Amino acid sequence: MIRKCFFLLLMLLCSGWGAAVAQSGDRQADLKAVFIYNFTRYIDWSMDAEGSDFVIGVIGPSPVSIALNEIALTNAVGKRRIVIQTYNKPEEIQYCNILFIPRTTTFPLQSILDKAGRGVLTVSEETGLAKKGTAFNFVMINDKIKFETNLKAIDAAGLKAGSQLLKLAILVD
Amino acid sequence: MQVFTSVLVLLIVFTVFIITDIRGYKQRKIDSMLGLAQVLAANNVSTLQFMDNEAAHQILSELHDVAPDILHAAIIDSTGRTFAKYVKDTAVGMAIPKDLPNNGYVLEYGRLYVTSLIVADKKVLGKVMLEVELSELEKIKREKFELAGILLVIAIASSFLIALLIQPYISKRLLMLVNTMKDAGSTGDYSKPLVDEGKDEISTLVRVYNSLMVQVKESQRRKEEFIGIASHELKTPLTTIKGYIDLIDSMEDQQPKKQFVQKALENVQKLERLIKDLLDVSKMQSGQLELNVQEFDMGTLLEESIAGFRMVSGTHKITWNGDHSPGMIRADRQRIEQVMVNLLSNAIKYSPGEKEVLVNSSSDGEEMLIMVQDHGPGIPAEELPNIFDRFYRTKDTSIHISGFGLGLYICKDIIDRHHGKIWVESTKEGSAFYFSLPMKYDKSSLTNVKPV
Repeated sequence: MIRKCFFLLLMLLCSGWGAAVAQSGDRQADLKAVFIYNFTRYIDWSMDAEGSDFVIGVIGPSPVSIALNEIALTNAVGKRRIVIQTYNKPEEIQYCNILFIPRTTTFPLQSILDKAGRGVLTVSEETGLAKKGTAFNFVMINDKIKFETNLKAIDAAGLKAGSQLLKLAILVD
Repeated sequence: MQVFTSVLVLLIVFTVFIITDIRGYKQRKIDSMLGLAQVLAANNVSTLQFMDNEAAHQILSELHDVAPDILHAAIIDSTGRTFAKYVKDTAVGMAIPKDLPNNGYVLEYGRLYVTSLIVADKKVLGKVMLEVELSELEKIKREKFELAGILLVIAIASSFLIALLIQPYISKRLLMLVNTMKDAGSTGDYSKPLVDEGKDEISTLVRVYNSLMVQVKESQRRKEEFIGIASHELKTPLTTIKGYIDLIDSMEDQQPKKQFVQKALENVQKLERLIKDLLDVSKMQSGQLELNVQEFDMGTLLEESIAGFRMVSGTHKITWNGDHSPGMIRADRQRIEQVMVNLLSNAIKYSPGEKEVLVNSSSDGEEMLIMVQDHGPGIPAEELPNIFDRFYRTKDTSIHISGFGLGLYICKDIIDRHHGKIWVESTKEGSAFYFSLPMKYDKSSLTNVKPV
C-alpha cells in the first residue's frame, strides 16, 4: 500500500508533476516505466489499428512490468487501453507495440529482435544494447536515467520518433 | 504666430509619434517574448517528462544568442521548484513580481516578466518564466526625443526662414494697398487702380478694392452730376423770382410792405449765393471752372470789397492795415474778389458783436500776402486740418452759422489754381486767414488757367 502510494506520487511527479527525484533501486524501475509510457507520446503509432489495445510486452519478470501495470490502470495511449503482457521466452512473443527487454533476461538478443519484427518498439536497459539493435536503451549517466536511441532500429521497425524525444536521446549507430 | 502654430502642431505630432512608437515597441516586445516563452514551453515538455534538466538547461542557454535582453529565464516544475534556469552574465538577482500570472506578462521595475505554462495532454507540467530587460526602450526613447528635438529645431528654423522670406513680399503689397487707400481717402481721387500680379489672398483683396473703388467713383460722379444739375435747375427760377422782387422793391414805398419785400429780397440773395457756391463746386469738380485772367490792381479790389462790407454790416469795424496799394497782379479778378468776400463774411459771421475785423496787405515784389483776421472764438486745433474740405462745418454747435460749408473749399481751390497758398492761424482770441499769390506768372505753368 505504501509502495503504491509512493508510486502514484512518483507517477504524478514524473508524468507531469515531476521533479528531480532520487533515482535508485526500485525507483529506477518506476522511472523507467514512466519513461516507457512517455515514449508512447512521441512515437507515431498511426500505422497501428485504432480502437485496439495498446500492448506493452515484457520479457520475463521485472520490477518495470509491475510499475507499467500501475500506469496502465490510470493511463491510456490516445484512446487506447494499455495492456501489459509478460513473455517468458522469445517464442511467446505475440503482437505488441512496445517490447521491454529487462537486464535480467537470459535469451539471446537477436532471437528476441527476430521475433519482435516490424511495428514493435524495442526498449532495453543494458549498456550497449542499442548499438546491437534495440530502439531505446536506458543507461545511467551521473546517477540519472538517460536513454540511447538507435534510429536505424526505429526506422527498421517502421516507426517514427518525434524530435522532442530525440533531442533528449543519446544517438547511437 | 505662424511659427508658434507650426511648433505647436509639430509638438503634438511628435508626442503622438513617440508615444505610439514606444507603445508599439512595448507591444512588439511583449508579443515576441510571449511567443518565445510559448516556444520554450513547447520545447520543454519532453525535458520535464524525461526529467532531463540538462537538456532544459541547454535549451535555455541558447537564449544568450537568441534574445540577449533576457536577463533571467527559468523552468519551474509543477511543485514550484526550479527545474532549469538561465542567468545572463551581467544580470543580478531576479525579482519576481507578486502579481505575475501563470500565463501572461507583467511590466514592473522597468522590466518585462513573461510566463507560459508547459502543458502536455491537458496536464500542467510546469511553467517558463522570463525576465526581460527593457534597456532598449530607454535607448529608443532617447533616440526618438533627440530626433524629435532636432526635427523641431529644423522646423522652427525653416518656418522662421520662410516667414522671413515671405514677410517683405506680403508686407510690401499690403503697404501699397494701405497707401493707396490713404491717398484715396485724403485726395478723394478713387480712380487710381491698384496692380497686383500675385495669385493669393492679397491679390483678391486688391481686386475687390479696385472694384469697390470703381463703384465709389461712379457714385461720386453721379453725386456731382446731381449737384450740378440741381443747382443749375434751382438757379433759373430763382433768377426770375429775384427779378420780380427787385421790381416790387423799386415800386413799393409803403411801410411795412417795403420792409417785407426787402426781407424777401435778402433771403433770395442768400439763396442765390448758396446756389452759386454749389454751382462753383460742381464746376471745380468736373473741371469746367475756367479762370478769366487779367491784370488788375489788388488795392482797388481790397478797397471795394471792404467798402461793400462796411455798407452791409454796420456793427462791425473793418480795419485795413499795411500796404494799401500792394500792386498789380494777373489773376481772375472776380474769383479773387470771391475769396475776399468769403473770408470777410466768415470773419464777420464768426465774430459776433461789434468786434473788429482786421485786413492786412503786403507785397515783396514776388508775392502778395493778404490777411483777414477776426476776434471770434477761434477754431479748435483738431479741426484745423479739415476746414478747407468740401462740406466741412465746424462741430462747435454754440455758433449757429448757416451755409453748406463750401466757402473755404472754394477759396482754397481758387488760390490753388492761381498757384498761391492759403492757410489759417487760430488761437482762442481769433483766427487769421492768409492767402498769398505769386505776382509773376510763368505762363507755361498756368496750364489749367485759360487766359482771355
